[in-house]
Amino acid sequence: MKKTVIPIGPFHPIQEEPEFFQLTVEGEHVVDVDVRISYNHRGIERLCQDLTYDQIPFLLARICGICSASHPMAFCQAGEDLCGVEVPLRGQHLRTLICELERIHSHLLWVGLAGHFIGYNTVFMWAWRYREPVLDALEATIGNRNNYENFCIGGCRRDIPQEKLPDLIKIMDEIQGPIEMLTKAVLDDPVLKVRLGGVGILTEEDARRWCVTGPTARGSNLDIDVRHDEPYASYDLLNWQVHYQSTGDVMAKAVVRLLETLESIKIIRQCIEQIEPGEIRAEVREMPEGEGVGHAEAPRGETFHYVCSDGTNYPIRYKVRAPTYVNLPSFKSSVVGQELADAMLTVAAMDPCYSCTERVLVVRKRLGNKKEMLDQKTLLKMSWDKTERIRRSV
Amino acid sequence: MTYEELLKQIEDRLGPMSERIFNRNRKRIYVDIPPEHSLKANRFVFEELKGRMTTATGRDTPGRIEVLYHYCFDKLSLVVTLRTWTEKPDCILDSVATIFPGALFIEREIQDILGVKFHNHPDPRRLILADDWPEGVYPLRRDFQTRKERNETPEFLRELTSEVTTP
Repeated sequence: MKKTVIPIGPFHPIQEEPEFFQLTVEGEHVVDVDVRISYNHRGIERLCQDLTYDQIPFLLARICGICSASHPMAFCQAGEDLCGVEVPLRGQHLRTLICELERIHSHLLWVGLAGHFIGYNTVFMWAWRYREPVLDALEATIGNRNNYENFCIGGCRRDIPQEKLPDLIKIMDEIQGPIEMLTKAVLDDPVLKVRLGGVGILTEEDARRWCVTGPTARGSNLDIDVRHDEPYASYDLLNWQVHYQSTGDVMAKAVVRLLETLESIKIIRQCIEQIEPGEIRAEVREMPEGEGVGHAEAPRGETFHYVCSDGTNYPIRYKVRAPTYVNLPSFKSSVVGQELADAMLTVAAMDPCYSCTERVLVVRKRLGNKKEMLDQKTLLKMSWDKTERIRRSV
Repeated sequence: MTYEELLKQIEDRLGPMSERIFNRNRKRIYVDIPPEHSLKANRFVFEELKGRMTTATGRDTPGRIEVLYHYCFDKLSLVVTLRTWTEKPDCILDSVATIFPGALFIEREIQDILGVKFHNHPDPRRLILADDWPEGVYPLRRDFQTRKERNETPEFLRELTSEVTTP
């Protein structure tokens, strides 16, 4: 059969980042894929070299609007590794609280979008309805819905007033029931089981070879989570577990994320029970010469930061590795052999900071290299039609 | 594998080919590997010790360009960094992406920003630089100057200012 090349991207992203996929298809099946990134390189690593250690977290919070606690968190780990400072207990609990609130809102955002991609708009509206109280909680405690800017080397910049903490419990009570119901609805739905099961499988062996992290790895039977393996903040003081699935398909990744959301609520409750008044920040006098490495578990996977210092107030080399950077290339293993209608869903399952399928150029070689444009609507319709077919047959 | 067993493996197997093994603290180990052994060392850490490569960092120092491969040992909460280097101006290293595809992107990135050529890299296209970026200019080298530092006006601004000055 003749091969057809389908470029997806890089402009008009519907989410935030432009990325480019060139899919080669035979009939309806994908046989090869080429991923290109960095259409919007911001040079943050270089910019960090011109900022002091106190200024860097503010820039790092802007790497991603959704993981805006995880990147500064990894930076603080790297800085604390370098200068060997201990964070006071209340500071550690505050860090845990913010990181987990961030995880809940990020996972709910993903569940909503995934529901939208397969034509389950009720899931979309439900998930985003209950994401809103979490953002309100962040605004009430930290002051911002995103870009929290609360972390610095040695602890936290601002305290959450002790009398605000019961409000957080109230919000957790409000969202726990609906999220449990949503999880149950997704797990029990026969249509979803057929639609998402067996789609976009990333085997354990491939997951290891592509070095993937986060829910993408945990969906493929890799039991890795930085919060558990190298506990930072106050995760080692709390009672929680890592969820992972063995099948490696889109369903597994969805289940991991939903169960993790519930686990996050559990962590926040314990955190509020244990938190006691006290210092939130240890004083850092100077940054010694040397190197530091820090990593933290962002909602999408592990963020990894490396800092090299020459003893001055500025780092001489700063390196940031975001989770999508390692998860995205694994698309090459998970999409080959899939139907075109599932390609978008397979990308979405990794939760990349992306969905730029606004415009698609299809080159059909059978018709003498005739080019045709597919837009976002057509791609969504392909995915929705498949769900509808399954729904009728189940 | 326990922590002590892993340390012993690293000392026994990487020790002879490395210049220095530096335990910064319990969770961070740095191993300096000369470039000729870099491929062998990376293969050992990835395939036999089952390390998970998180990323690699390229760093321009006054005499040479260093490439640091960071490996995580998740269950032991340990990060092992293999540091290798290459002399300017040739800058050629063996590609680790021949062992596992997880290193494909990061080696292409280091090639773009620091000008290190990776020998036998399966896909040595540009990754993060634009297609019209000039050849042989590497933005993270120490001698790289921004347009501001060179006092140079971008082309589109030059046209604008020339229009303003001529009445």
